[in-house]
Amino acid sequence: MSQAHVIVHEHPPGMTTGLPPFSVAAKKMAIWLFIIADAATFAACLVVYGFLRNGSASWPRPFHSIVNVAIMTFILLTSSLTMLFGVRAAKVGDKAGALRWTMITAAGGVVFALLHIREWMGLIGEGMTLFHNPGGNPLFGASFFSITGLHLLHVTGGVVALVAVGLRYKNGRYNADDLEVTGLYWHFVDLVWMFVVPFVYLLNLA
Amino acid sequence: MVDAPDVHGTEPAARYSDTIGKYVGVYVCLLILAALQFVIAFMGMDTTAKFARMFFIAVAEAGLALLFFMHLWAEKRGFLLFVVVFTGFVLLAMQYGWTDSDRMEVGAPYTQPKQGVVSQ
Amino acid sequence: MHEMASQAHVAHHGPPTSFIRKYIFSLDHKVIGKQYYGLAFISVLIGMFLSWLMRVHLGWTNAKIPGLHLLSPSGAPGDVMTPEYYLQLMTMHATLMVFFVLTTAPFAAFGNYFLPIQVGAEDMPFPHFNMMSFWVTFAGFLALIASFFVGDGPTLGGWTQYAPLSAVGSVAGPGEGMGVVLWAISIGLFCVGQLLGALNFITTTLDMRTKGMSLWRMPMTVWGWFITSVMGLTAFAVLMPACILLILDHVAGTSFFVPSNLVINDQLQPHSGGSTLLWQHLFWFFGHPEVYIAIVPGMGIVSHVLIPNLRRPLLSHRVLIYSFGALAVLSYMVYGHHMFVSGMNPVSSIAFSFPTLIITIPSTIIVLIWLASLYGSRLRINSASLFALGFISMFITGGVSGFFLAQPSLDIMLHATYFVVGHFHMVMAVAAMFGIFAGTYFWFPKMFGRMMDERLGKLHFWLTFVGAYAIFMPFHYLGLAGNIRRYQAFAPDYMQRFIPVHQFITIAALITGAAQLIFVYNLVYSRYRGAPAPENPWEATSLEWSTPSSPPPFDNFGGQLPVVYHDPYQYGIESSTGDYVMQTSPEQIKSVRDEA
Repeated sequence: MSQAHVIVHEHPPGMTTGLPPFSVAAKKMAIWLFIIADAATFAACLVVYGFLRNGSASWPRPFHSIVNVAIMTFILLTSSLTMLFGVRAAKVGDKAGALRWTMITAAGGVVFALLHIREWMGLIGEGMTLFHNPGGNPLFGASFFSITGLHLLHVTGGVVALVAVGLRYKNGRYNADDLEVTGLYWHFVDLVWMFVVPFVYLLNLA
Repeated sequence: MVDAPDVHGTEPAARYSDTIGKYVGVYVCLLILAALQFVIAFMGMDTTAKFARMFFIAVAEAGLALLFFMHLWAEKRGFLLFVVVFTGFVLLAMQYGWTDSDRMEVGAPYTQPKQGVVSQ
Repeated sequence: MHEMASQAHVAHHGPPTSFIRKYIFSLDHKVIGKQYYGLAFISVLIGMFLSWLMRVHLGWTNAKIPGLHLLSPSGAPGDVMTPEYYLQLMTMHATLMVFFVLTTAPFAAFGNYFLPIQVGAEDMPFPHFNMMSFWVTFAGFLALIASFFVGDGPTLGGWTQYAPLSAVGSVAGPGEGMGVVLWAISIGLFCVGQLLGALNFITTTLDMRTKGMSLWRMPMTVWGWFITSVMGLTAFAVLMPACILLILDHVAGTSFFVPSNLVINDQLQPHSGGSTLLWQHLFWFFGHPEVYIAIVPGMGIVSHVLIPNLRRPLLSHRVLIYSFGALAVLSYMVYGHHMFVSGMNPVSSIAFSFPTLIITIPSTIIVLIWLASLYGSRLRINSASLFALGFISMFITGGVSGFFLAQPSLDIMLHATYFVVGHFHMVMAVAAMFGIFAGTYFWFPKMFGRMMDERLGKLHFWLTFVGAYAIFMPFHYLGLAGNIRRYQAFAPDYMQRFIPVHQFITIAALITGAAQLIFVYNLVYSRYRGAPAPENPWEATSLEWSTPSSPPPFDNFGGQLPVVYHDPYQYGIESSTGDYVMQTSPEQIKSVRDEA
């Protein structure tokens, strides 16, 4: 340090030195910022849904069974756990374990997506679409398919990211930190689902 | 993009000695909370009351996931505060519109008490 | 202290070799910054041209504009603008200006070019995202321009695209079908581009600062861009789903924003259950932060340009930074002041009015700091500092009318009039444009290695400054007198009296617009024929003047990252180089205020 650089410790570290104030590396910082922005996106969608539902006198309640959504929730939560195992394995240097758990997580995502699509097909079979719904306000279909569609898009993207990062981790291009960053995203997708399930499914049980 | 070595070298080593047991513990808590939401769905109360309870539980779940699954608890407190305060503020600021939602069925602002809108 | 631990070398890319890599799909933040500047440049020319057409039509009702039918045969049969075409031009003018000029130039263009240099980084941490950011934005621009040539032209709904007319399709008028969809696609893409940009800006500011570059040692410009990106991060994230829902209303038959039993043009709309106010809530939740996204970078640029010309620091840099922050926080809490006459719950109006009045406090503090710092100084007069002064002038003039509009009771009377048009053009549009000009004159020597012509620059300033007042001050009087905005002709008797004023404004707009050709000429001429720029033409201290060459090499500092020893604004002191000391100079100095 130079003679002219006298540090007065009256501010948090980043304010007086060149160190990042949060000691969070760029990639992790970026994924957190993305998560914040994405949280705002999902919140906007949920606000739209709540706004319209609250303002409607005839909101439909088309769900007869909770079995499917319960299984989906269980799978997504479990895949978060396996993701944690994967990152932990990578951090302690267990490369094979990390890869295995990552792929198991991705598989969980695939099963979730398949169950979700099956459920969609069922609802579409009952006549519910984006713009139509057999009983009550057509906006149920619109908001249901938009919100779960956006979530499904995130799950699909997550699966692709997990496989891609996992393979690159395997051949050495990516390291444990990259796996952790992908994991953060995957947990966030899980976190969003925790709000989607009660508001979009459970409040609309027949 | 080439890898970023974490040159700041300040990753607290303690985080990765997180035990499997801790993860599983949090996971079980999350499962229980999620199950609680399903239970509430079948309880006989009006939609608003259900919503309030489910929302509270969802926030608790999200908190657990953020702190332990996403390791926010192990980051610097400043970072935790930044994420939570900033996101919370933005999400709160989004809630201004609700009074207009209440009026979709009843029209003008103070004409009549809202009926049959929330409690279906 | 971790020696040399402060550089996160996330972005390593060598010098580009091929033409495409160097100039088109470039990863270099400087090239991307210039690309953004070019995009803003094209957009502003188109936007200005559209405003000319509108002004001529307003001043001389149903005037023939020779050749206009070539632009749109259906919109201007016999070279006379139809009412619908007037609204289409208005919408395109506003959309281009707000998104592709006021957001793009001060934030994305200058931010991309100078933020990494000013914090002492080789590049942004995610150069691929950075490249995508520009090209996604450019795709949005193309989608918007394409709407001129598709179907019955671009949308006529205004840049706010108020539902339900924006959501019901072509029954609502020309351009309300395909035009709106293209508009929504364009803005949705723009949101993605700016999100990617904001990610890069924030991570660069937090993680890529060079050794010694503490947060308090960052120039005001960096603070401006940083705070702007934090706002943009969440504001654009809300506009994007809103655009997607609007598209769904068009193409998938949903009715998020269309209420039940809506009859348009004698046709009952096949929609039900939606809410028109919902769109406004979503849009303005983005829209108000957007106003500050446009102006805060300008404030940073103005401070950064003024200080070297003042040859002394501002009264307080910290208070200025805190005020930027306060603007950002409050910008999320005031958006409803755009909706006072929307039919929103009047209780919300009060809830929005109060923070709106509060937000004038940080704005006033910022202005007072500038004014008090100018007091008694020996300001160096050059094009850049003149435009900085012009920014302050415009911001005050436009800001004062904001006090009136912040109060619902007054706004109800003024909202639909030219008073609002005058207000936002002054405080946001012209002020931000002056910020862009100040930045251009100040940084041109760094970006191109040549000086701009000062005489032409000063001429450009005076014509633009007087012209801007001549155009936008009368708007306030027109508004107070009851001249309704968004009208394409002023048929009612009481508005007939205003037409001479409109003719004056139109002539002023044509002259002021033509004066911008001086700037264009100056820009092009100086790029190739300007006097070679000295290393540090403004005797400024910040890191962009420590690069080995102008323009800087692809890695900014020629392989050797700078080390920072001082606050960015150490002027008015005694040192070996004169009355200032570079941030990179290890020289021990008697510190002035704010040295961290």
